[in-house]
Amino acid sequence: MPQNVIQVENLKKNYGRLAAVDGISFAVKKNEVFGLLGENGAGKTTTLEIIEGLRKPSAGKISVLGHNLKAGINSVKEKIGVQLQSSAYFNFLTLSEILDLFGSFYPRQLEPSGLLKMVGLEDKAGSYVGKLSGGQRQRFSIVASLVNDPDIVFLDEPTTGLDPLARRNLWGVISKIKEQGKTVILTTHYMEEAEILCDRIAIMEKGKIIAIGDTHKLIESAQKPFKLNFYARISQNCLKELQKLGEIINILGKSNHYEMKLKTQANLNRALRLVQKVEPESLTVGRANLEDLFIELTGKTIQE
Amino acid sequence: MFKLFLSNLKILTRDRELLFWSLMFPLMFTFIFGFFFGKGSTSTGTIVLVEKAQTPIVENFRKALDESGLFKVQREDDLEKAKDILKKGQAGAVIVVPEKFGEPLPEAPTKIKVIYDPANAQINSAVLSFTNNFLTQVNFQIKNVAPTFSLEEEKTSTNQLGYFDFVLIGLIGMALMNSSIQGIAIGMSKYREDKILKRIVTTPLPSWRFIVSYILARLVINLFQVSLILLIGAYVFGAHLYGNIFLVYLIGLAGAVLFQLIGFAIAGLVKTTAAAEGMATAIAIPMLFLSGVFFPIDTLPKWLYSIVQYLPLAPLLKILRQVALESTSPLENPVNLLIVASWILFCLLFASYKFRLSEE
Repeated sequence: MPQNVIQVENLKKNYGRLAAVDGISFAVKKNEVFGLLGENGAGKTTTLEIIEGLRKPSAGKISVLGHNLKAGINSVKEKIGVQLQSSAYFNFLTLSEILDLFGSFYPRQLEPSGLLKMVGLEDKAGSYVGKLSGGQRQRFSIVASLVNDPDIVFLDEPTTGLDPLARRNLWGVISKIKEQGKTVILTTHYMEEAEILCDRIAIMEKGKIIAIGDTHKLIESAQKPFKLNFYARISQNCLKELQKLGEIINILGKSNHYEMKLKTQANLNRALRLVQKVEPESLTVGRANLEDLFIELTGKTIQE
Repeated sequence: MFKLFLSNLKILTRDRELLFWSLMFPLMFTFIFGFFFGKGSTSTGTIVLVEKAQTPIVENFRKALDESGLFKVQREDDLEKAKDILKKGQAGAVIVVPEKFGEPLPEAPTKIKVIYDPANAQINSAVLSFTNNFLTQVNFQIKNVAPTFSLEEEKTSTNQLGYFDFVLIGLIGMALMNSSIQGIAIGMSKYREDKILKRIVTTPLPSWRFIVSYILARLVINLFQVSLILLIGAYVFGAHLYGNIFLVYLIGLAGAVLFQLIGFAIAGLVKTTAAAEGMATAIAIPMLFLSGVFFPIDTLPKWLYSIVQYLPLAPLLKILRQVALESTSPLENPVNLLIVASWILFCLLFASYKFRLSEE
């Protein structure tokens, strides 16, 4: 059983009457990628910033790497690395100068050249941050959180605002960090990202954790784990038959494109036979994903 | 911490545009005041001399005019042309010496005429009193009597000082105040907006080290600033400095620290960079005009003077002028030192209470 590197118990954070974080408890295990998933304002960043020592909790107990956060904040800061949401760096220092400077704040420091190489920015060592593209800047921001060779790395929405290619590139960086034996705790509102990257996730809504567990097990726990997707012209009768077997929706804007979510294998089999009879143009069978689970739990999708 | 200091210095000096303008602004004033009041610009303006007679008195008059150095004297034979020059504003006054003036003839005229534009008060009073004085002396000589009453001059300081010397010290105060208040208030607010301050808080670096190294780096820029103003003032425009230059720097830097603390207080009070800019300007501009940068503040109405003499820049300039121009010890009038020290203490307490790197 791997040890817990972060332990959060009954954490609360109030801003006036608003409970931004409303009594949450969770643990993060050593060397896992743990994701806090939820829409904007769910309390993900606040939770992260409390653990990083940037905000004071209204109530609750937090321990990081065996230190009580309140008493041992300085020992904790030496062993964690933090990437803040949409943060900038000094404008007139080069990348390697910034890494060198930040490294000098810690008792243990990694070489800037090795760090830049890790994220493919070795050619940019002498450039200013302002000259980097969005994806490069984000990679730099992540690698800047590794200057002290931390045990735990906090990444707050590391891929927000990036194009799909740059996002995938960053996923590679994050998995490299995990390979080095570090623990990663990240926030995201991209379902696909959480599903691919995170060993475990906690889904947050309105300051509470509404589901937590191993990513694959959570998805499997969806009430309607089977999915059927097809293009076909179907009669009203057929539609009624299908509605008895599971939830069917007409994909927006396309009159003959449908998606079904079903509870059991038996219902899936029956639905398949019904659809095959009308000779569909296209028919695919799949499993529920994290987004389906999220919709099931919260009744909504996340809008950017 | 030395690395942080060096990094801050790099940031401040690599931002060429910012550096250029922050140095340029006070230098621009140094040049403007230098051209008006510095070396080689002691005359109050140009006058036109129309001489219709060539007698010993007229010659003496011309000589006295030239030697006084009060005016640039332009000669013109044609009175109409001279009037035209006056009308165009190219000269402040026309002095007309009529024909036969000073000749030992009964019909010889006895009056020199001064034509002037009443709008140009400074040159008028100078021309009128100069001419009047000259004629009075001539009268005494002709009647062969010595004046019974005369005047004895005594200066408070044996140092030779001019308005440019006064204003140059004011400009040093202005440069230190502007760059420090604005630089810190805007710089720190920008760092907060960019979450650089927050990022610093996630590291084990104590906040005070971050702040102190930033202050020190700025002081290096201030040193450079003061040196440039002094060098240009002294070598280009012949400003006089009589005091201990080391003390001038020391007091200047103490002032810079005070203004930086005001900058930190502003950055602690407002939330955005734009607001910091507004507040810094609102504090610096009134202080610029009410603290004696350009004019001595004792010419202000008494009630106003009793307030503005306590503004941070006012006692600082008084000490600086005492040291630099009158070469007296700042301890000779310790009230000003006390006011500056109290401001530093107050701003330090206020800034450390209000300014935080973290949001909570």
